[in-house]
Amino acid sequence: MTVQTERPPSGPVDVAKRDESGPAGPRPRAASRAAALTPYLLLLPACAATVLLLGWPLLKDVLLSFQNLNMAQLIQHVTEWNGIDNYKEVLTGEDFWRVTLRSILFTAVNVVLIMILGALVGLLLARLGKRMRVMLLIGLVLAWAMPVVAATTVYQWLFAQRFGVVNWVLDKLGWHSMADYSWTSSQMSTFFVVTVLIVWMSIPFVAINLYAATTTIPGELYEAASLDGAGAWKSFTTVTLPFLRPFLYATTFLEIIWVFKAFVQVFTINGGGPDRLTEILPVYAYIEGVGNQHYGMGAAIAVLTILILLGLTAYYLRIVLKQEEEEV
Amino acid sequence: MKRSLFGRLWPNVTAVVLFIGFVFPVYWMFATAFKPTGDIISEDPVWFPTDVTFEHFRKATGVDHFWTYVSNSLIVTLCAVGFALVVALAGSFALARMRFKGRRGFVIGFMMAQMAPWEVMIIAMYMIVRDASMLNSLVPLTVFYMMMILPFTILTLRGFVAAVPRDLEEAAMVDGCTRAQAFRKVILPLLAPGLMSTSLFGFITAWNELPLVLVLNKEAEAQTLPLWLSSFQTAFGNDWGATMAASSLFAVPILILFVFLQRKAVSGLTAGAVKG
Amino acid sequence: MKRKLISAIGVAGMMISLAACGGDNGDGGDKAGADGYAGETLTVWVMDGSSPDQWQKDVAAAFEKQTKAKVKFEVQQWNGIQQKLTTALSEENPPDVFEIGNTQTPAYAKTGGLADLADLKTEIGADWTESLNESSIYDGKQYAAPWYFANRVVLYNKKIWAEAGIKDTPKTRDEFYADLKTIGEKTDAEPIYLPGQNWYHFVGLTIGEGAELVKKDGDKYVSNLADPKVAAAMETYKKFQALSKAPKDKDEATPQQGEVFGKGNVGAFIGMGWEAGIAIEANKKIEKEIGYFTIPGATADKPEGVFLGGSNLAVAAGSKKQELAKEFLKIALSDKYEGELAKLNGVIPNKESLQSNLKGNVVAEAAAPAAAGGGTTPLIPEWAAVENAPNPIKTYMTAVLNGKSPAEAAAQVEDEFNKRLAQQQ
Repeated sequence: MTVQTERPPSGPVDVAKRDESGPAGPRPRAASRAAALTPYLLLLPACAATVLLLGWPLLKDVLLSFQNLNMAQLIQHVTEWNGIDNYKEVLTGEDFWRVTLRSILFTAVNVVLIMILGALVGLLLARLGKRMRVMLLIGLVLAWAMPVVAATTVYQWLFAQRFGVVNWVLDKLGWHSMADYSWTSSQMSTFFVVTVLIVWMSIPFVAINLYAATTTIPGELYEAASLDGAGAWKSFTTVTLPFLRPFLYATTFLEIIWVFKAFVQVFTINGGGPDRLTEILPVYAYIEGVGNQHYGMGAAIAVLTILILLGLTAYYLRIVLKQEEEEV
Repeated sequence: MKRSLFGRLWPNVTAVVLFIGFVFPVYWMFATAFKPTGDIISEDPVWFPTDVTFEHFRKATGVDHFWTYVSNSLIVTLCAVGFALVVALAGSFALARMRFKGRRGFVIGFMMAQMAPWEVMIIAMYMIVRDASMLNSLVPLTVFYMMMILPFTILTLRGFVAAVPRDLEEAAMVDGCTRAQAFRKVILPLLAPGLMSTSLFGFITAWNELPLVLVLNKEAEAQTLPLWLSSFQTAFGNDWGATMAASSLFAVPILILFVFLQRKAVSGLTAGAVKG
Repeated sequence: MKRKLISAIGVAGMMISLAACGGDNGDGGDKAGADGYAGETLTVWVMDGSSPDQWQKDVAAAFEKQTKAKVKFEVQQWNGIQQKLTTALSEENPPDVFEIGNTQTPAYAKTGGLADLADLKTEIGADWTESLNESSIYDGKQYAAPWYFANRVVLYNKKIWAEAGIKDTPKTRDEFYADLKTIGEKTDAEPIYLPGQNWYHFVGLTIGEGAELVKKDGDKYVSNLADPKVAAAMETYKKFQALSKAPKDKDEATPQQGEVFGKGNVGAFIGMGWEAGIAIEANKKIEKEIGYFTIPGATADKPEGVFLGGSNLAVAAGSKKQELAKEFLKIALSDKYEGELAKLNGVIPNKESLQSNLKGNVVAEAAAPAAAGGGTTPLIPEWAAVENAPNPIKTYMTAVLNGKSPAEAAAQVEDEFNKRLAQQQ
């Protein structure tokens, strides 16, 4: 698995891209019309699937968000339009804003941790001897491959109040008040467990890909840098970092999406509790909509959630937009 | 350049600590699954399962319909990944290799599609499937799972397609191959590692999906393994042995696939770079 | 709102009544064309733990014999059942018959998802205990049939109590507390396993205090948790909870308290009689140690208030097998099988004449004294939303147990509570 950088991090591709002149260019005219249609035909299945399988539910969701849809209406298949009531109720309540802020903070903390630690582990991989590197790679791959449902279950067991191994270790380390500590009893401790879980699951993706990317940095660049008298730090900032920049952007973008949507982890560990204090937007939408059977309201929150996610990633999307512009 | 003993030591020490940190939860899952209950709920953890029992696995697989869940999960996941790869390959080829109006729009479109928070659209999807009378069927699951992984697959494959040297393709066409033949004979084999590593992500996503199958399929005949695992947890909440055995069984196919494919994928990626 | 089920289940009636009315019926004559149903299968949802396998097998056999149709029982988990039921009722093929909690029935009756059972009531329901049928009636119509009812008791480990030197089971709340204290001092067992969110027990305590959970404010219902009587109930809960090592933020099902008790190191827990089965499944050896007694009240003459939980059977309005579903109800609720259920599970049956089945059942004998003073949560459609996770009453309990004053905790959850009660239907 690799990252979708705009320019794949390997050298030759840049060369390949630069001399692209468009396939239709040197060809005979007769074939050119068919050739012009080819890309659209190739994209047709993907677009059709997207419109049908994503566009339709999305449209339905938007429609539902303008409806009063509760148990009775769902059961009897009744459509009751209620204008912007759902939005009014959501946006004027303080819950939504509190959850939004929490979601953004939660995403920020996790993504920063993942990126920094992931990058450090990736650089460490590049520095290790072969045997140690293979060992660490195996460890990373195992953690990466754990299915999220299974991983969440395992973390509940690690952090279990009674017989959980984490509490036992803390107790043995002299922190006796942790012996029977309930990790799900407070907002911060719940977030702590969720964060450890998410960071643990996400570091391997960043680290392994970053390591793979560093192996493609041409050695001459470092040699040139050291000839210029650059130290380790200097050559890191002048060579490694610029080379990895597109990769880092793309990975951060993906991590933002993944962490923001971390529904299963948050919901399974503590159901958004205690006291609804660990609900992030997707969990909030689920609990208001499906949990409280207030489906129209849930749909409105879902629409708002999508808008917020778009807002969070707008910066990256703009970069991509610009890059693509240059290439055309 | 000589490094101090400390300079040589700390990366290795850190690596060992990290290794333990990453492996322990996985290890603990398997270890717990094999330990007799008495060892699981003991005041001091039993670090190594000395007397191994298969009792928990028996309990986990003894659930009604277990094998139905297994085959449903496999069918849905493999079909979703397969369809996604085919559809994405065509699309990514166009995006990576061709110039056409609106290309930028397609790229941004797929990037946005990749962000779709599926969990919050469950009820809309449920109502669509319900009104189409397709509940308790594997078909809607398969196509929705395909859609969940399609944008990522397209965008990632695009990078792999772009990484295949263009000269090779052109050389093939000079030799009289059509573009399609060039694609099949030259590019596809080179893309194999890319296809494999991309399909991993799809496999994991589809294998794990829980919220949708929970509302769509109420009949056991059409349910999948994540439901089994989560219902297991509800029913045997305190029986960590059985729960961990279930988790282990659920994780094993992915772990195997991953260890196998990841090596190929990474080596494919780096080998390509070195060769170029 | 009538929330007390001042039931006709007299204590005495329950314990002593002889089998005066038992033993009749069960296979009464039926309509012609009985095998017109051959080849059909009726789907019935029952909740986890509500009906023993034996009962399901017997009823299925009788049903097949009489109608030539098959019945498929599907066991459902309580967790998330409302969402599952709501979506199921909206589907083309809903479960034909399903068990539904008595406190949830009014909300579903209001949605139009339940079939009108007026004729069934006329045919077989003339002698249903009126107070138990109350939750099935909405807007004057019969939307469900009362099935079984039960209340909580104290399940205790005789061995541990003997070890602590306690000879007799307690008769008052203070004695109960003192006994548990003694167990804590004289043995290494956990005196009582009482998680912070065993909210049905808490509801029982409020009933014992004569408190109401909601009150009317104009035409709306609003939280009444700030009532000092509710606070008093919570203080009692807190006092006992302090003796337990159980988590303050979990309910009795996570982990299953029966399973914890089954490990043999817990003096007692407050639960349903059938939870003993969970303990026994976890540990066979515990079976002979389990004893039961009525939850003691403030004074010896009046047991603690209890939540009179129960289940009704309803028919989905969208079911295409309305007649067959009613045939099923007639068999399942017949004296023979209603009696069998009471006997096997020690639950209160839907008519007084069947109470003789409970004679000699230790669980029922422990439960019965409290049943007369039992009650339910408010039987209003608005209530169902309150029980959805995260249940504000559970939040209230955990807040108090973690050190907030009852008044503070009530203020903390009031908004959420009121919002749910006011939720648009």
